[in-house]
Amino acid sequence: MLKFIKAFLFASVCALFSFSASAVTVASWGGAYTESQIKAYADTYSDPSAIQFENYNGGLGEVRAQVESGNVAWDLVDVLPDEAITGCDEGLFEDISGEYDNFVAAENGDGLIADMAANGVENLSDCCGPQIFWTYVVFFDPSAFPADKQPSKIADFFDVENYPGKRGVHTWANGFIQMALVADGIAPKGVYKVLKSQSGAIDRAFGVMDKIKDHIVHWSAGAQPLELVSSGEVSMSIAYNGRVGAAVLSEGANFEYIWEGQLLEQEYLCLMTGAPNRDQAMDFLIHATSPASQAEQAKYITYGPMRASGIDIIKAGEPWFHTGIDVMPHMPNTPERLKISVMGDPEWWSDNGAEIDERYAAWMGN
Amino acid sequence: MEVKITTNTEILTTDGIPLRVSLKKTERKNKLRAFLLVFPLLLFILITFVVPIGDMLMRSVDDSHINTVFPKTFEEYEKWDGQDLPPEEVYRAIFDELATGEGIQVGKALTRMNYSKSGWKSLIKKTRRQIKKIVKSGELPVSYKDTLIEIHKGWGDPTFWIAMNQMINETTSIYYWNAMDRTFDIDGSVVKQNEERRIYVRTWWRTLEVSIYVTFFCLILGFPVAHLLANLPLRYSNLLMIFVLLPFWTSLLVRTTAWIVMLQQNGVINGILVWLGIINDDQRIQMVYNMTGTIIAMTQILLPFMILPLYSVMKVIPKSHMRAAQNLGAKPARAFYKVYLPQTIPGISAGGLLVFVLAIGYYITPALVGGKDGQLIGHWIAYHLKTTLNWGLCSALGSILLVLMLVLYWLYNKIVGIDNIKLG
Repeated sequence: MLKFIKAFLFASVCALFSFSASAVTVASWGGAYTESQIKAYADTYSDPSAIQFENYNGGLGEVRAQVESGNVAWDLVDVLPDEAITGCDEGLFEDISGEYDNFVAAENGDGLIADMAANGVENLSDCCGPQIFWTYVVFFDPSAFPADKQPSKIADFFDVENYPGKRGVHTWANGFIQMALVADGIAPKGVYKVLKSQSGAIDRAFGVMDKIKDHIVHWSAGAQPLELVSSGEVSMSIAYNGRVGAAVLSEGANFEYIWEGQLLEQEYLCLMTGAPNRDQAMDFLIHATSPASQAEQAKYITYGPMRASGIDIIKAGEPWFHTGIDVMPHMPNTPERLKISVMGDPEWWSDNGAEIDERYAAWMGN
Repeated sequence: MEVKITTNTEILTTDGIPLRVSLKKTERKNKLRAFLLVFPLLLFILITFVVPIGDMLMRSVDDSHINTVFPKTFEEYEKWDGQDLPPEEVYRAIFDELATGEGIQVGKALTRMNYSKSGWKSLIKKTRRQIKKIVKSGELPVSYKDTLIEIHKGWGDPTFWIAMNQMINETTSIYYWNAMDRTFDIDGSVVKQNEERRIYVRTWWRTLEVSIYVTFFCLILGFPVAHLLANLPLRYSNLLMIFVLLPFWTSLLVRTTAWIVMLQQNGVINGILVWLGIINDDQRIQMVYNMTGTIIAMTQILLPFMILPLYSVMKVIPKSHMRAAQNLGAKPARAFYKVYLPQTIPGISAGGLLVFVLAIGYYITPALVGGKDGQLIGHWIAYHLKTTLNWGLCSALGSILLVLMLVLYWLYNKIVGIDNIKLG
């Protein structure tokens, strides 16, 4: 009996190892977002069983711990753009820029880099493939305002006199600062130019934010702003656009966006240094970053494809959402919306973000 | 074991060995066996507790990596008198070390440099690209200083050079100073952080304040409940116990969200108050997304940790004590204060310590219900661990928290005595 148990344990340990060794492990954020990735990337991949997704809480902490200890368990990680840059600088992610030519080209012949540039993105990291645009966007419930006085521009968010009610804002600075500058009259395209060149730009943003300071309810988790607005706790809130899209498309909520001043942030899939299944992970990355896969993802979640050709596929295929509804009204990066949006500059933010976050925390607490 | 008594009173066992020796031998065997039994646990504690804490303490003072990347620069830097801009040699050294340094090592150093001053990262990255070009062209600059300033005007900004003073030693106390809103000046003296960035002292106080409030309210609310639990007939007390334990078994997030539903301005409590006419519709009370909400939610969540130790202590206090005290002429209040309360001290201290320790590291609940007051020290530890990768500051904050707990424990031992604790 004892022998049998031993043999069984040995076999199961072996099975465990061989199983985890053969599958490409992708660490991502979990929830509806990972669901959409599984449906759009893994299920359409030539060998879906070779891909397994694992949840993590973001940040480079775990990535760095894995690489430093030499015990790398993940192959690909879904990261924010500034983390893609820092991780690449620190050697936590492998430089794959030499293989960008192997990535699937767009219909019009544009390669990966050109296709992203058409969307206003220079590929800032050499270690990653593009994913989606997610944005900080203001939204509201139209029934909270009289029909003839609906908010329509970002300045209205900072105007509690004409558009009464509290405002939902997150507990960190990114997104809110940029919106404050757009509300103060800076053209969306010029926000980062001003931030880089004028030393008083941050003070100016805080000055605008001061106007609504006493009317802010601060949230810290992505689901909270939807609850805040639908319960009437606040009349307008900043939120992740995908959350608002899901509430409208899947749950039938009645929300409107203020696209002006939204901050477009990028999302990348990066290859871990020392990834256990490097070659297959690369193959999967190429599949996941193809225009078709990127467009496919918009069937399940309303984040925008980072490759411009992805948007064209969606537009041509409407109604694109998996429930048979048009999805373009919720896509953050249509050409018209790109004109009034702030394009995130992760390089600048990874340089200055910590200091601004600290200042923001001091501002909140005062 | 047979023994015989010899004339010189040395007791021997049957095989002629003195009993003393023989006993010691068996004792040693037993000790070894006992040690082997606890060895796995010891090893477990060593690996999961002692080593990580040691590593954390090390990281909070370690600054060696950057010194391996810029050894020459720092050597030259230390010769500089701190006036205007550093001399040509410093510029030359950093030029060389950026040209020859390995990308990944420099990359790691950049993350470190950016903690001291924002902007180092892009300054060095841009410069490095240009330096590579210059080195490739083979035309080395005449003046390294002018060349670098030409590449990026940041090299002419003394504030960058002042910030460098924080990195030149292999061990550093800067993280601890940062954790207390202090930083180093150019001459190495400790000065207050720029006013806009002073957040940690306030966060420490707020964390302590919340923990003290929560412990206090847990005691006030938990004491009568525990008393009831201990003194009711069994069938009632069992039911009451389930009421205490049921929320204890419910997910933390569910309970936290439930409090939001209860307390928000269009929530249950405000709704009832308006319906009863106690407050007007436009006077709804702000009970959540602030300190009040944090304290209410945390108190409810941590309450069982106070009730259970109290209950286990009260359960064994004989009821006859109170009766005897009253019999001897004490009024109920005096009997309670003089006879009952002192006997519950072990439970109060155990519960108090447990609740306080848990509260001081709380993170998710304050973040969800605390609004702008929701960032306790745990938030900043997680922020630096995950977002800024400033593991030095992260470790320093953690170490201070650890020392704070040890001090409290020491104080507690002085005042109450550690034998006076009963966890159940």
